Amino acid sequence: MLLRRFASNVSALRAKDVSINAFVAFNDSESVSSNGPLNGCTIAVKDNICTSHLPTTASSAILKDFHSPFDATVVQILTKNGAEIIGKTNCDEFGMGSLNIHSVHGPVVNPFNVEERRAAGGSSGGSAAAVAAGLCHAALGTDTGGSIRLPASYCGVVGLKPSYGLVSRHGIISYADSLDTVGVLAKDVSTVENVFGHINKHDYRDPTSIDERVRERARNLSLEQYESNRHSNTQDLKGLRIGVPQEYFPSELSSNPIISSIRNILSLLRSRGATVLPVSLPSTKYALSAYYVIASAEGSSCLSRYDGIEYGLRVKPPGEENNIDTSAKIYAHTRSHGFGREVRKRILLGTYALSADAFDNYFLQAQRVRQMVRDDFDSVFFVSNILASSSTTPKSRKTDGVDVLIHPSAIRTAPRLPIADDAGEPESASRDTLQDYVQDVLTVPASLAGLPALSVPVPQAVRNQNVEKGDGWPIGVSVVGQWGSDELVLKVGRIIEEMERNGL
Amino acid sequence: MSRLLVDGWQVVIGIETHVQLRSKQKLFSKAPTSLLSHSPNTRFHAFDAAFPGTLPRLNRKCLDLALRAALALGCTVNERSSFDRKHYFYSDQPAGYQITQHYSPFAVRGLFTPTKLGNSIRIKQIQLEQDTAKSITNPSKKSALIDLNRAGTGLLEIVTEPDLRTPEQAAEYVRSLQELLRAVGVSDGNMEMGSLRCDVNVSINRPGEPHGTRCEVKNLNSVKFIVAAIEYEISRQRRILENNSSAEVLQETRRFDHDVWKTYKMRSKEDAPDYRYMPDPNLGTLVFSQEHVDSVRRGMPSLPASTRSRLLQTYSSKGVTERDIEVLMNLDANREIPYDGAESSILGAVAYFEQLCSRNRDPKITQNVLGQLSALGKPFSSELISVDRMGEFIDLVVAKRMTRPSAKLLLKQMLSRPSNAPVNHLAAEMDLLDTDPPHHKTMSANDDLVRDICLRAIDALPSEIAAIRGGNQNVMNKVVGWIMRETRGKVDPNSAKTILNQLLR
Repeated sequence: MLLRRFASNVSALRAKDVSINAFVAFNDSESVSSNGPLNGCTIAVKDNICTSHLPTTASSAILKDFHSPFDATVVQILTKNGAEIIGKTNCDEFGMGSLNIHSVHGPVVNPFNVEERRAAGGSSGGSAAAVAAGLCHAALGTDTGGSIRLPASYCGVVGLKPSYGLVSRHGIISYADSLDTVGVLAKDVSTVENVFGHINKHDYRDPTSIDERVRERARNLSLEQYESNRHSNTQDLKGLRIGVPQEYFPSELSSNPIISSIRNILSLLRSRGATVLPVSLPSTKYALSAYYVIASAEGSSCLSRYDGIEYGLRVKPPGEENNIDTSAKIYAHTRSHGFGREVRKRILLGTYALSADAFDNYFLQAQRVRQMVRDDFDSVFFVSNILASSSTTPKSRKTDGVDVLIHPSAIRTAPRLPIADDAGEPESASRDTLQDYVQDVLTVPASLAGLPALSVPVPQAVRNQNVEKGDGWPIGVSVVGQWGSDELVLKVGRIIEEMERNGL
Repeated sequence: MSRLLVDGWQVVIGIETHVQLRSKQKLFSKAPTSLLSHSPNTRFHAFDAAFPGTLPRLNRKCLDLALRAALALGCTVNERSSFDRKHYFYSDQPAGYQITQHYSPFAVRGLFTPTKLGNSIRIKQIQLEQDTAKSITNPSKKSALIDLNRAGTGLLEIVTEPDLRTPEQAAEYVRSLQELLRAVGVSDGNMEMGSLRCDVNVSINRPGEPHGTRCEVKNLNSVKFIVAAIEYEISRQRRILENNSSAEVLQETRRFDHDVWKTYKMRSKEDAPDYRYMPDPNLGTLVFSQEHVDSVRRGMPSLPASTRSRLLQTYSSKGVTERDIEVLMNLDANREIPYDGAESSILGAVAYFEQLCSRNRDPKITQNVLGQLSALGKPFSSELISVDRMGEFIDLVVAKRMTRPSAKLLLKQMLSRPSNAPVNHLAAEMDLLDTDPPHHKTMSANDDLVRDICLRAIDALPSEIAAIRGGNQNVMNKVVGWIMRETRGKVDPNSAKTILNQLLR
């Protein structure tokens, strides 16, 4: 049996993982998985996704020995379909981070070249690294503002953040409920597509899970549009309209080797018949602040349950064990000790954003910006957003618009891991602030709008005199589509992947 | 209006009532709701304990109960409303927040006219929210225990405008609200069990001046406490304002101490917590279509006010008074409220009464008999005596087959030992029936029987008879009582008295 083979291979997996630290728990039970289409498929699960047989810590000290009483819906589906869950993967604490360095289990080392000690990206760094190192066929991750796409780009694997509402969040440890999205990482698009196909299901246990009929309509709308414009010849991309958002390509980065790689891809797609159009998403410049306010506000709310009472870590205030009036102090001590620095920072930010004095200027303002970001996307895509309230009023059919957007997934290759300070926490490395800013610009808008976004690895551009020298590390290109067009996004991803295989 | 002034002060009262919904399952989880009798921590799911990865799932049954309350209170139901998180750390709040409707409640602008109040009370809004868990602190053991049974139970918060003017009006509002919510099956409204709790806002001002600063007294769980807390607040605020013309009442949240019958300060306005209300990102918009609201309206049980007027209209011509109807309504209030707004299989007192009357029985006598039931010390329940058997009983009474004392005895028997035996058999067994129906009896035969027992009484009670002969007529009652016991009440006391007087003359 395949399963037994893998079970006995746990020690081998462990050995391979020592230098990477992608896994925080391995499944060494010999439980027999059911027969199904995913037989033989080994899947690693991010540690903020609940499993009843393995611990679920979300990389936090506050959940250090936590065992969930139930399996997340996605885990149930995969197991039922014959997949084998081989272990839990490292991540940034509660998904808060972009380098997978804020983890009680220590940082993940990018397996592309372990010697260089570069970051795997975050927060789903363990999932991306496990796939990249060949320790599993696919991995589940979660993406709140780029947490699948960024590590996929840094590690050189495919990562899909599906449309919000397609994959059940039941059993996902919430960071920001309105943004959290479960997705898949794998070596190639077809594996991602296969696993996604199974978990793309309505779940009554998730109130934000979208009705089957609605997702079917969105899927058909995007595919019909795309197919009707295309010739039967699959090699010919005539009719495919690709938008390039100008706000994602600031002039300061024109000599960046990654930008030129993306330019190469775009010109190849154009040479195959696709139309490449510059588009503008003018609210992008406000998207970042809106994202930080919303994510940290929801984070402060979602994480208030970790108080040391029902489960998880409890830290008693010193010397006051027998005083029942100290429950408030128990919360304070438990939360101060149990949460890492980055999580504490975001909780404080979010708590402020929700306070009575700040609510209107921060939280409500951010919600308005979020709507503007959605409207921006809706105005550039050819098909309308099925979830937008304006779609109830008959809209004149658009004659222009694009099928997908393409942009780099990350503005740089994997950075080096920072050196940990005395407290075991990474020092805040002084970085290029513009790069930081643009990095977030690339992933956050699709999260705010709940759109499907896929990162596909691409080779670095051939060097020329106008471009800085690349470092040879993986880079990724992102394909973003209208809500519910995940299948179309995957199709385009596959075209890019094939072009790469054929040596561009 | 002036009669409502207290020594020249106008009192202004508003009430927030928290009512537990009578649903089988909790508001956002499939865990069963609980009673006080359930063992602690036996009725909750992972969601109610705020386990990571759990998400809320709205219980539609709770929504329909909430709609009934809104319609019964004449509210406008918002087509779209939403849920918010109210954040605070407390051991009875596992998630660190309560899901409530802060920004956009589902029902607004209602109007409610309690039966005994002349005026209507405006309902500001009704919001749907989660109840908390219970924390039980034991100071002697220095322990705090948490019971999650109640955590996440559906709760309505019903908020009035400041339209009440006296403690008695406040009491009447709460009692009528309780009756209303029970009648439409929204809640059992049981204050002792905590399924209905009130926060009372009180302020006083001179007539013609703006309302004074209000103080809120939280968590009152009996009508008595509500009245006492308001009375205490009125005198406390008066003391402040009358002692020093420049003094002001401070806005405070207070508690009522029912040991000393006083309110005490819990926190001032400055200490008021910032609850950091945030729209709940999971639950989205709550939509009530007009069709759905209409269908809930059609399925509503009748409201107490319309039941009252219908009963009065139907039966007042047959001698049933408003007071009689109040007795029936009070009996009706004892019935068990079914879960999820289901129709009860058990008849309430009103339905019981109407079924009895529907077979051409005299409503006045029927009402009297039902009124007797509660005098017999058992709460009314249609389960104890079926409509048919009660009918047989009333028929025996109407046909004058029993004396009143015999009837009482029989009713007691029927209550304490429910059985299916025909009522006239039971009465015969107990030897309670007059041997002959009155219209067949000749007076003399009856007189003979009575005469016999009277003669026996004269023999058996010589000293009492001597006293009567000596002119003490009061002793006569004692002799008649002896005759009633001996004959199990079969003799009419008045004719016994007449015959005794004849014999002793």
